[in-house]
Amino acid sequence: MKDESAKLGFRLTLPAQVLVLFISVFPLLMQLYISLTDWSPLSGQSWTQAWTMWNTFANYSDVIHDSRLWAALGRTALIMAVCVPVEFLLGLGLATLFMDDFPGKRVAYSILIMPMMVVPAVAGYMFYMLFQSGGPVNDILSRLLGHPVTLAWLSDPRLALVAVMTADIWQWTPLMFLILLAGLVGVPDDQIKAATLLGAGPVHRFITIVLPRMKAIIGIALAIRVIECFKIFDTLFIMTGGGPGVATETISVYIYKIATQDLIWGYVAAIALVILIVLSIACVWALKRMAK
Amino acid sequence: MSTIHLENLVKRFGPFTALKTMDLTIADGEFVALLGPSGCGKSTTMNMIAGIERPSEGRILFGGRDMAGVPMGRRGVGFVFQNYAIFTHMTVRQNLAYGLRATRRPADEVARRVGTMAELLQLTDLMDRPAAGLSVNILQRVAIGRSAVMEPAIFLLDEPLSNVDAAFRAVMRTELKQLQRTFRQTMVYVTHDQLEAMTMADRIAVMDHGVLQQVGTPLEIYNNPANLFVARFIGAPGMNLLRGRPVETAGAMSIDLGELGLTPTLTPEQSAAVRAAKGEVIYGFRPEQVSRGLGMAMPVNFVERIGARTILHLGQGKDVAKVVLENDAGFETGKDLHFLPLPSAVRLFDAASGIALRGH
Repeated sequence: MKDESAKLGFRLTLPAQVLVLFISVFPLLMQLYISLTDWSPLSGQSWTQAWTMWNTFANYSDVIHDSRLWAALGRTALIMAVCVPVEFLLGLGLATLFMDDFPGKRVAYSILIMPMMVVPAVAGYMFYMLFQSGGPVNDILSRLLGHPVTLAWLSDPRLALVAVMTADIWQWTPLMFLILLAGLVGVPDDQIKAATLLGAGPVHRFITIVLPRMKAIIGIALAIRVIECFKIFDTLFIMTGGGPGVATETISVYIYKIATQDLIWGYVAAIALVILIVLSIACVWALKRMAK
Repeated sequence: MSTIHLENLVKRFGPFTALKTMDLTIADGEFVALLGPSGCGKSTTMNMIAGIERPSEGRILFGGRDMAGVPMGRRGVGFVFQNYAIFTHMTVRQNLAYGLRATRRPADEVARRVGTMAELLQLTDLMDRPAAGLSVNILQRVAIGRSAVMEPAIFLLDEPLSNVDAAFRAVMRTELKQLQRTFRQTMVYVTHDQLEAMTMADRIAVMDHGVLQQVGTPLEIYNNPANLFVARFIGAPGMNLLRGRPVETAGAMSIDLGELGLTPTLTPEQSAAVRAAKGEVIYGFRPEQVSRGLGMAMPVNFVERIGARTILHLGQGKDVAKVVLENDAGFETGKDLHFLPLPSAVRLFDAASGIALRGH
């Protein structure tokens, strides 16, 4: 009887299983296969014939010596190291603010959430316009400082990175805010009251009660943003296209460029696979640590 | 060491008035229970004493000092929450030391006071256990210890036994009373369980619908309820209340209960009070204060055995009463039971206002 129902269950979920197989397992295997060859869409052969260009692990050893890749990785790490903490602190500050009632809270809430709903490409174009040398950012800075500012935000290698980070922070602080607000709401009210009645001030309460209770949710929020930030692409690509030069070229932009311009797909597959493996290991490690 | 004065206390939440008016003086070292059904305003009163809620009107004084504007952390009030609000991410020791550390006491003082408190509450062996996995009775001791270690002048307990099963509740009632004797603090205890209030409190403040109904010792409240609400609420089962019209024949006053006939004659004091009140009255007597004998007759409708005693539900419709008898008492279901409320136990209330009529 039990056997029967298990069989039925298998048969009923079979279509879904086949779908998952096609969506995730098949492309992965295809990627693994191509990454072991020199195949390119320009080679004039179907990808199934890629074995004729077999090069074993040559692509993987190229990955290790690819200085442009490592520079892109470093840049991605830098963006992550700046954006995620800033988004976290801003989000936490805003969430704490929103725990109290103040006039216009609902409106402020809606406005705050809005950046998250903007299509990344649109956000990219918005910031592209904002950061033009004759654009609103310079205009506002000129008025504030009292003398004309004509910074070339998107063509100066350092400033371009700042502009790109600003856009990312603008767009993703709301997500941090939302997750952390949910965490704050989840801290039992009684515990806060109990701590207050025992004479604890707001800072002491925050450190001893609120933060420990939010550990898990903070971990989740950071993990989401770290992973997302690693994949940063659309907004950035529209703003700078990875430039000037390679000044804002992140991992995703680099992969995109060699995939669409250089068309060396065997190598692209190898890079993507290495990143996937490294990220997966990092994620599993982080999740295990969080579970402790 | 502190008295508590509540003066004309009112609390409104928007259009809803949780506490209509409250005047109460609690003596230093006294154990007062705020007793009432849920929604009667007892927890609101407690929260205002603690400073968690701000009164809409009126004053709260601790030992003569007005508490308006004193934040809850500075009132010197120990508060035990209904769910104990234990910091479950800490150990027992960290819980006990929380208040002392938060107020930056020196480490050796913290260690000493926490140690003493742990010994007093028999928590010494559990000090380094995480608070998360402890049983309810230990959590309760931690909650009390966490507040008591601050040596507050006033201790507030918000239904601390409502999460505990019946057997533990009996143990903890005794335990709490003993703790109060040890600490000698002014204690305010919120509960909806009259047994808890009766057994522990020096005085009980009965509340209903945001109004203080009666304040008195447990026996005063049981024996002389100030109004119909208290009469019904206190006692298990509550007082029997039958509506009737006073009749006077040959100088002897009794109450005509309609279909149930006349009650036994009232005492001269009761008669005087009834005469002064004029109009319909409520004739009240406790189910456990009756004797068998000719006086009143009501049919036995339903029998409830509660172990030590037997409760008989008498009558039907509007004229119902309950009588508590010994288990071996003879009766027949469906037949009339003849009984007589003890003359000294009869209480009379004004039918219109519900207020007790007291003979002077």
